[in-house]
Amino acid sequence: MSFWGQVREFARRDLLAERRAGEVVSIVVPFGAVALMAFPLALGIDTPVISRTGPAMFWVVTFLFTMQIALRHTASDASHHRAMLALVGIDPFARLVGRSIASTILIWLFMAVMFPVMVLFYSPALPPTWLPALLPAALAGMGLAQIGTLAAEVTTGLQARSTLAPLLVAPLAIPLLIGGSQALESLVRGSGILPWVLLVSATDLALAVTAALIAHPMEDAAL
Amino acid sequence: MRRARTLLGLAAVAALVGLYFALRAPVDAFQGEYARIMHIHVPTAWLAFLAFGVTAFGSVMWRLRRSRRWDRLAAGSAELGVLFTGLALLTGSLWGGGVWGTYWDWADARMATTAMMFFVYLGYLALRRSSPDADTAASRSSLLGIIAVIQVPLVYFSVNLFRGLHQGQSIRPDGVTMPPEMLIAMLVNLAALTVVYVALLVARMAVLAEEELVAAVEPIAGTSVVPPRFGEVGDA
Repeated sequence: MSFWGQVREFARRDLLAERRAGEVVSIVVPFGAVALMAFPLALGIDTPVISRTGPAMFWVVTFLFTMQIALRHTASDASHHRAMLALVGIDPFARLVGRSIASTILIWLFMAVMFPVMVLFYSPALPPTWLPALLPAALAGMGLAQIGTLAAEVTTGLQARSTLAPLLVAPLAIPLLIGGSQALESLVRGSGILPWVLLVSATDLALAVTAALIAHPMEDAAL
Repeated sequence: MRRARTLLGLAAVAALVGLYFALRAPVDAFQGEYARIMHIHVPTAWLAFLAFGVTAFGSVMWRLRRSRRWDRLAAGSAELGVLFTGLALLTGSLWGGGVWGTYWDWADARMATTAMMFFVYLGYLALRRSSPDADTAASRSSLLGIIAVIQVPLVYFSVNLFRGLHQGQSIRPDGVTMPPEMLIAMLVNLAALTVVYVALLVARMAVLAEEELVAAVEPIAGTSVVPPRFGEVGDA
């Protein structure tokens, strides 16, 4: 099977497993909505502050729950499963790419649900046109999926995996969070978003190169 | 261990000499006594860069040679790098509170990137401790040790790339922008803290080697009984 054939199969398998288990849709998404609701409740009735912090909270919640999505049970392989995949000649990088694609789709779904929830709870200032806002958001979601997948790979089989993975990658996600939130703010102000799109794209590219470089050594460490 | 003890004694003397020079350096006209903090702040930041560079080197060598010695070098240096980064953040914040009027400024790229580097290496240390097997920990963390060092040039050049409260480099290829007395005090402290770094690194590597020896002892009945160590009987 070709490299891209392997990628397609992995992405399809992950999405199928998620559709059956419903881990993201029935657990992570409602939990994310509750997290978005908790902040205004904790802050109290200060409408201007709540309104101003809405987009930032959206990105913080997206980042934190991205880790939950990347570390979902349906996307974690046991060591004997990995050994079997290695034995039949599956490219570890193809597995990483396939898993990243599946996580990207699930993160986009998460963001698509969380954004209206954020608008409802926080009433932020919104840009006049929506279409340009989608590009940096989609790219940031892609980057978060890559970061999450890399973190999941590095922490495979570790007991403290669910807490260790976010600690490892949180600083790396900062350019994505800055790019995503500032692009929305720039649109609200009526200024250009190109610098933020470039920042997020460059981060995505750097993450993809990193994944390509460490996929094989990581496989050796995990087996 | 004897070599480590000798080096630690030398480090204590070097630290005292550095402190003497820092206290004897002239007072800055604008910063006042706060300028003395710079004699510690700048060397600790430079040593953090050195420590993370050594971690990356140790990680590369581990991947090439698979020798425990290189992993101990990477691990020990990362711990010291985190210590020196923490000291640089603390002393910088204290200095900023007195001179800039703020302990922290999010708009300053040097501060933000240094904090980011600090947390990445905290994650590196956490990753090491999470793997029960030493070789597995070394394999996983070596990858992070190699990748994370990319942040060092980013932190160093952040003052040139972004505008913020931090001033540019004082020691540049085209000249030095500080008085010779202050420069000497800073360089003496850099040398002294480098000795401290080397001494602590050697000591830490020796402790890590001992820990590996202890971990290699197979328990006879659970963890409550271990085989007698006949070599240690004579010391008692």
